[in-house]
This record gives sequence, C-alpha cells and structure tokens, in this order.
Amino acid sequence: MTNDILAEIAADLMEAEGKRQPVAPVRDRIASGSIEDAYRIQFINTERGLGAGRRLVGRKIGLTSAAVQKQLGVGQPDFGALFADMAFGDSEPVPMGRLIQPKIEAEIAFVLDRDLTAERLTFADIISATAYALPALEIVDSRIADWKIGILDTIADNASSGLFVLGSHPKRLGEFDPVLCGMVMERGGDQVSLGAGAACLGNPLNAVKWLAEKMVEVGTPLRAGDVVLSGALGPMVPAGVGDVFEARINGLGSVRAIFE
Amino acid sequence: MSRLDAIAERLDSAAAKASAMAQLSTGADAITLDEAYEIQARSIARRLSRGESLVGIKMGFTSRAKMVQMGVADLIWGRLTDAMMLEDGGEASMEDYVHPRIEPEIAFRLSRPLSGNVSLPEAISAVEAVAPAMELIDSRYRDFKFSLEDVVADNCSSSGFVIGAWSKPPADIANLGMVMRFDGRPVEIGSSAGILGNPWRSLVAAARLAGRYGFHLAPGHIVLAGAATAAQPLKAGLHVSLEAEGLGRVDLKVKGEAA
Repeated sequence: MTNDILAEIAADLMEAEGKRQPVAPVRDRIASGSIEDAYRIQFINTERGLGAGRRLVGRKIGLTSAAVQKQLGVGQPDFGALFADMAFGDSEPVPMGRLIQPKIEAEIAFVLDRDLTAERLTFADIISATAYALPALEIVDSRIADWKIGILDTIADNASSGLFVLGSHPKRLGEFDPVLCGMVMERGGDQVSLGAGAACLGNPLNAVKWLAEKMVEVGTPLRAGDVVLSGALGPMVPAGVGDVFEARINGLGSVRAIFE
Repeated sequence: MSRLDAIAERLDSAAAKASAMAQLSTGADAITLDEAYEIQARSIARRLSRGESLVGIKMGFTSRAKMVQMGVADLIWGRLTDAMMLEDGGEASMEDYVHPRIEPEIAFRLSRPLSGNVSLPEAISAVEAVAPAMELIDSRYRDFKFSLEDVVADNCSSSGFVIGAWSKPPADIANLGMVMRFDGRPVEIGSSAGILGNPWRSLVAAARLAGRYGFHLAPGHIVLAGAATAAQPLKAGLHVSLEAEGLGRVDLKVKGEAA
C-alpha cells in the first residue's frame, strides 16, 4: 500500500481524537487488509505524538480475552502506545472532555525496571524485568463511530487506547497470584464487572511476554520504566460523566476513576 | 393425599427418575412461596424416609443479576442430603440428572448452631472451615424454565455437590478469583464477590431464611454460599475443575465418552 493512504488514515484518526468527532471505520481503506499496514498507521501517529513532545511511558495490550478475540475473529492480542498525558492517579478526576465514547476495564499494570530486547523471552525474563505491579483502570475509547470496529480499525486507532488510571501500592510478583487474583469493579458501589487474572490470556504474564517479543519484532523494545497494561480481567463497561469506578484486585489493592 | 403432598411426590419422583415435568406455575398447581417451601420440605422428607440424611443447605439467587433476571428481591434456599454429595475427584453420571449444569461455589462448615437473625461476626464465628465447591443444579422442570415458586418447590434445582479440601476460614474471602475449567480450559472466570458482594453475607441470609421456615443450621452442617458465576451445562466425558484463590481446588469427572 502507498504510504500516502496510510498517512491519510492516520491523520483522520488523529483529527478525530483532537476534535472528539469519531469517523467511519477505516478498515475498507486499508486495501491490503493487512495487520502490518494497520500498525503502520498506528506508528505514524505514535511518531507524531513523540514529535510533538509527548512522552511515551509504555504500552497497552488489547484483545486478551478469548471472547473478544472470537468476536473480532483474531487469534492474538494487539497493542497500543501509552503517553504520559494519558495517565491519571488513583482518585484523580478524569476529564470526560478528553474522551469520545469511553469504556472502562480493570487490569494489572506491570512496571519494568529492565529493557527486554531479546527476540525470544521466557517467563523468567518477564518476572526478572518486572519491578512491581499495580492495579489499574484502563479507559478505552474509539475514534471509530459507535465502536463499529474490526481488528484493523482498532489497531490503526492505537488499540482503542484512551486514558488510564494507576493505583499506588506497588506489589512484587510473588506477593499476589496473577492467575487466581479475584477482580471486582463497581460503579457507585454497584458491581458492574467481575473476573480474575486468568481472564487475561490464561495468565497476564503471557500477555506481557507476547507484547515484549512483539515490540522487539517491530523495532521498539520495551524499556526499563515502561508501564504495561496487560489486559482486562473482566468485561468492560461504558463510563459517563459523574461515574465513580472502583476496581479491587485481590492482593493488589484498589484503584478509583472519577469521571468529571 | 393433600394437594401439597401430591406435588411433593411428583417432584420427588421426577428427581429420583431423572425425568422432567411440567412447571407448576403454568398449570393448575399454582402455589404461593410459603407453599413452595412446604412442598420442598415434604419432598425432601420422602428422601429422608428412604434413608438419606440432611447435611446442610444451599443458597440460590445470590447474584444481583440473577435476582433482577428472576424479578425477585430475596435469596432462596434448598436442602442438601448426603446422597447428593459427590466425592472430590470422583464421578457423576449424566443418567442421574435431567439436564445438569455446574457452577462454582464456596462451602462453609459450621461448628456452632446458627439460626434466625444473626450478625455477620456471629455467622463468621460459627464457621470452622471453608472449601471450594461446585454445585450440580438440575431443574426437574422441562427446559430448565420455572417461576420463583416452582424452583423453591423443586429444592432450588439442587441435585448434587462436590466439596474440596476444608481449610480454616481465611480472614478475607470477599474477592477470591474463581476459575472453573472443562477439560483444562476456562469456561467461567469470576470472583467470590459475585456471591452477594461477599460470601459471608450469604451465611447470614442462610440463617435468617432457613430459620424462617423452621430449619435450624447445626454444628456439622454445610452451607453452599451460592454461585460465583453463571452455570455451565455438563456433558458426558467432561473433566470439571474449580480453582479458588487461596482455597485450593476441587475436581469432578462426568462418566462416559465425549460425544
């Protein structure tokens, strides 16, 4: 495919984000239908973000549940870029004005203290490179109207990243059970999502390992200090102005997102 | 034979023969909730007269979603007998059930009596052990369809249960991850928070509701706290397992070959 068309799609998505005006699905404009071209669109916007002085602080992993993969007809996760300006702290107000049609999900965030540059990695590499884990709320958003996304749409659109909120009580791997940790998310005190670590590719470390190898493959390895949002532990739910969400992940503590 | 005895006999027979019957609520046998509990008591009394013994109770409709779905405002409870108990690592047979489903639960074993209005701390202090458990539910009504009164009369669909190793109750059981697998693959992933937000609350409700109908929980009794996730249909040849965070695991095999 010509770079011109990919650049044009990237520009449309960036404009949609900037103006909070979603666009029609872009998948039909990616004539090759290839996932690689969809990532090329994403990378154009990541580069533009870096060029504009945004600070890259990590990556998010998406499509980590069997149900969502089936829904989109794919057999693997995807990833998107996380910038510092997308990050919020526990209980810090989240401005709804920055979002179009947000949904929220609870995840485990892994924070690295080593680069992961080898092409093939082991669980031992991932565990050794993880400084600590935090409970996190990922606020996903789509620049595609009405969330009518296919796999190419979401990859081109930075894996439907929006904003994210991190908890504040770091735990080392070994201090909690990444597979069996229970997860409950409440909106205004009412349960809206339940799950456990196993919902993320059977084990969230699988998602981190997949991401780390993928980032080496595409030439931008994960680095010390990177935050990795590893994938949802339960179903995502829509978020609206005034909503207060709290997620508790057993052994990891809690994190709150307050939408204003 | 009174009307309630006649219905109890039909439900007992449907359970014993693993054959489905018509709902009560859609026919000439519409009953009240109090009558439904009376039918349940009489139906289980028939089992006891054949030599079974009561070992505890199960709680149902413990998720808000289920209550909304059923349009009810309270939990329901049913009786557990020793004949319904399956062995951890043992086998269940499809022939014993109409259309069985299985769901992940948490089980409590009491060391003290518990009845009527009790506080959460009282309920907790009456428990000597906690275990991961799975319940086999099997409505005796056709197509698993029923009203609130129907299901209560049918012993809340309870038909079997399997309990893993008992352990001392952990201080906090409010958000334990629960992963139920069929042949090693996760089919339900949830949290014990799905049981009334905290399974201990189910025990308080158990004491209150059973007490209201004259059933007094006693030392040694088991309480199944309710399902943490949706139920999944059983099939011949399946190996079912449940892992509950910090509580260990429980296994059940379904006899036969996979179709």
